[in-house]
Amino acid sequence: MKIERTHETRKKSITAGFLYQQTHDRFGLKQLNGEAGFDNLIRDKSLNRPGLALAGYVELFTYDRVQIMGNTEIRYLNSLKPSQRMAACTNLLEFKMPCIILTNGNIIAEELLQAAAARHIPIFGTEFETTKISYFLADFLDDQFSPQVVVHGSLVDIYGVGVLLAGRSGIGKSEIALDLIERGHRLVADDVVNVTRKGEGILIGAGTDLVKHFMEIRGLGLIDVRSMFGIRAIRFQKRVEIAIELEEWQGDRDYTRTGLDTDQVSILGVDIPLVKLPIFPGKNVTVIAEVVSLNYLLKHYGYDAPKEFAKRLEGVIGQKKKGNRAINYFEHDFE
Amino acid sequence: MIEQTVTILNRKGLHTRPAALLVKTAARFQSELTLAKDGFEINGKSIIGVMTLAAEQGSQLTIRVEGPDEEEAAAAIVAIFERKFDEE
Repeated sequence: MKIERTHETRKKSITAGFLYQQTHDRFGLKQLNGEAGFDNLIRDKSLNRPGLALAGYVELFTYDRVQIMGNTEIRYLNSLKPSQRMAACTNLLEFKMPCIILTNGNIIAEELLQAAAARHIPIFGTEFETTKISYFLADFLDDQFSPQVVVHGSLVDIYGVGVLLAGRSGIGKSEIALDLIERGHRLVADDVVNVTRKGEGILIGAGTDLVKHFMEIRGLGLIDVRSMFGIRAIRFQKRVEIAIELEEWQGDRDYTRTGLDTDQVSILGVDIPLVKLPIFPGKNVTVIAEVVSLNYLLKHYGYDAPKEFAKRLEGVIGQKKKGNRAINYFEHDFE
Repeated sequence: MIEQTVTILNRKGLHTRPAALLVKTAARFQSELTLAKDGFEINGKSIIGVMTLAAEQGSQLTIRVEGPDEEEAAAAIVAIFERKFDEE
């Protein structure tokens, strides 16, 4: 299907300045030695603690990563004589590190900060402890360096399930999304869905900064869902869990009739269930999309309707029962 | 499949009206149209998509047309870029 052919991108690097701008509010980062080196490139999502490098062992020193200096490093430095301390730092600053983050509110001497600035290595300070900031930063960098793809479709949260509506342009994705919003579901993005892979198996979809929750309805033009339907009608991002591909009804096409075998579609290497939905006049796709979500939830909670039915049928076949009434005798039901 | 690079020539860039002209032109053909700028790829028949590119004057777009009428579609689309979207 179309979703698979789209073009995957991945950031190769971010600058130290970008890291600071994006995270200083959340992570409480403070600039300690100016903006020199803000254009240093970070190419790796891993972090490094330069303890051994400070002690003089620099083989295998992954200097090109974001360096985290916590209590261990600072106490080690403080335990040294001033001349040794300067030598250890000068040694470390020989390496072109993108930036250094001092955790736990630790501080280092002004002359060391200036020495780093002279080598174009920005130093940031934070009150957070090392494990916490490492966790936050690893998540931020993982997000920045994760593969992304732009999918042409609408992403709607239906009963808490992220449903991606796909199909050729003009088939009515936006209209169905609008109908779903009207029924109380929440729009994530229309027409341009930015999908990012988190970790190994999670897809997160979001709109773009510019478009947010605008959508185009043929014949009307652009509408703003947020201002029209309010905050309850939107959300910024949602895990993409199912794809529904809309297509014109083709009589010779083989659509699933039992739902025992489910199709899959691969987005960024993650397989999610795919429902191919033929549309024709008079078909209420909105309700079907809701049912698709509810069915997904049922399966998620351990109930697979087609399998249950198959089991029941096998039971009946096994018993060789006669008669075709749902209930053979229902006492005193005269209504 | 036809792939071609075009440059935005008009002063105001690919703003709302040119975007509308572009998607209307694309919608006349059966072929699929994809536009890409700096690795960001969108469907050329979606006005929201085209506007997402926020392409300024001088920027370059890669257009890709694929389908039964790709020749005519590509020619028509390249022509409107060359005409500066009839703006100037």
